[in-house]
Amino acid sequence: MTYQLPAILFLLPLFAAISMPLVCLKNRHWSHPISVAILATMVLISILNLNNVVDHGEVRYVFSGWTVPLGIEWVADGLASVILVLLSGLGLLGVVFTGPTSPKALGGRIVHYYTLILLLLSALTGIVFARDLFNIFVFLEVAAIASYALIGIAGGRALFSAFRYLILGTIGASLYLLGVSYLYAVTGTLNMTDMVDRLPFLLSSKALVGGLLFIFIGLGIKMALVPFHSWMPEAYAHAPESISPILASLVTKVALLAWVRIVYWVLTASDVLLQGLIVFYDIPILRLIAVLGALAAVIGAALALAQRNIKMMFAYGGVSHIGIILIGIGQGNQTGFVGGVFYLLNDAVMQAALFYIAGVAVCHYGVRTIDDLARIGKQAPWLTGCLIIVALGMIGLPPTGGFFGKWNIILGALEAGNYFSVAAVVFSTLLTLAYFVKLFEGIFRQQSTRLEDQFGEIPLVFKLTLGVTSAAIILLGLFSSPIVELLLNHAMPPRL
Amino acid sequence: MVDAFFAVLQRPNFLTVVIIFLWGFYIMVSRYNLVKKLIGMYLVQTSVIFFLVSISAKKGATVPILLSTTEPVKATVYANPLPHVLTLTAIVVGVATLGVGLALCAAIYKKYGSLDEEEILKELE
Repeated sequence: MTYQLPAILFLLPLFAAISMPLVCLKNRHWSHPISVAILATMVLISILNLNNVVDHGEVRYVFSGWTVPLGIEWVADGLASVILVLLSGLGLLGVVFTGPTSPKALGGRIVHYYTLILLLLSALTGIVFARDLFNIFVFLEVAAIASYALIGIAGGRALFSAFRYLILGTIGASLYLLGVSYLYAVTGTLNMTDMVDRLPFLLSSKALVGGLLFIFIGLGIKMALVPFHSWMPEAYAHAPESISPILASLVTKVALLAWVRIVYWVLTASDVLLQGLIVFYDIPILRLIAVLGALAAVIGAALALAQRNIKMMFAYGGVSHIGIILIGIGQGNQTGFVGGVFYLLNDAVMQAALFYIAGVAVCHYGVRTIDDLARIGKQAPWLTGCLIIVALGMIGLPPTGGFFGKWNIILGALEAGNYFSVAAVVFSTLLTLAYFVKLFEGIFRQQSTRLEDQFGEIPLVFKLTLGVTSAAIILLGLFSSPIVELLLNHAMPPRL
Repeated sequence: MVDAFFAVLQRPNFLTVVIIFLWGFYIMVSRYNLVKKLIGMYLVQTSVIFFLVSISAKKGATVPILLSTTEPVKATVYANPLPHVLTLTAIVVGVATLGVGLALCAAIYKKYGSLDEEEILKELE
């Protein structure tokens, strides 16, 4: 039974998404409890799956019994299982959060909304498990189409942002597909494990380098890497309040995971191709990733500092944190890789928490910009408290998980002798500190000349989501050493 | 340089792929009308699909169905089926994306009464 878990994890939300419009045809309000139940089951199964992988090693799943070169292979290894627990947990939290915000923001489209969320989560599960380049393309596109629709679902200004996202996202997907077909033309296979054996004989091939370049640019657009990030802040800032936490915390991170898979499980996985041997015009590929990450980390944080809209600021914060993860991934040693993956887990939780805060601020207090923040001041203990904890995590101060992630990334960069990367992490941290200072200055400013508006207590669900995400940020810090140990033992790429 | 130029002319299919891809890309970047942008997007997708079909084409090859079960399989006789399957999936994905794009266009037109990007941006200010 346990070897079927990867397929069950994918099929559960998929079948729920397909049957949702039929089941909820008459009673629209069933869609919320049904999605919560499905995702809670998914969380349980993903924990079972992680437990199984830790105990018995990775599960290789081949669909309908066709073995590797012919069929499609999924692998539930340590990295995929850890990411999947995160994915299903944040998905569940996002759906729970939707409850009180949905009637106002979504109009009559509640059933469509839950259908699309379940479809999005099943597609992301597919990307996490897939070991087949074309399979990743299909799931990337399913996830992307679900995100376009989810961003535009409430209408209004978000429609135009969703359209821009669609145009840029499709360019990214087309480039990715072009790169995959180059690699297929050169190697004759789409399976990652199979490709590893054939790459060493093709080192001089220009089609290989060209294909990889297309794949990297395509996935770079999907993960909002800095030169290609322009769709991301706008889309996430104008999306309905309930959907931006799920999109911001999961979609870009899973695209990054696909990139990590291709770099570490295909390019550097074979004996001959030890890291750094694949080059673009004399630049080792890992060095290239670290430099791109450093640029993203600094530029994203600087752009966040320039924003006055709270959601825009948080979205640019996400852009800079993608860069910090890439710095860790690009060091080419175990410490850096573990730091990068651990920071990815933290960043997903922190992005979710930030957008929950922004969502509560918009839904309950009607606050959209920093200038409005002074109005709520002392009336929002939950909001301010959660924001302080997330700020500690984003800046990277000791009790939170953000600190340990950055610590490992910096240790890895020092180990690799990459002082430029260390400087980039430190500089981006300072800029992060600067924009949170700007935010807190908005909250604690004493300028209430007029009578303060009265706000009631926030609903229980808002307290729950804010509390759970803040607690998760602290817990990831407190339990950082067992988690890092788990990643070191089970989530390492081959040959690292 | 001249050799490279003639080497490209030897493969008219790949040249076509590059031209259609860049043409579609140019339309997406330069036109203000949202539907024209979608047309450009579709050209880009089509060019990639055309590339997939081109790399699998073979002169005088037949459909990949075994002609006899007793003789050994001769791979040179059959066209490679995998890129065609990929093409089918890519077409489905492209159609779905185009559908979402057109739905967004319709909703934008209902709300702003225009499909011109500049006019919509002016209204958003």
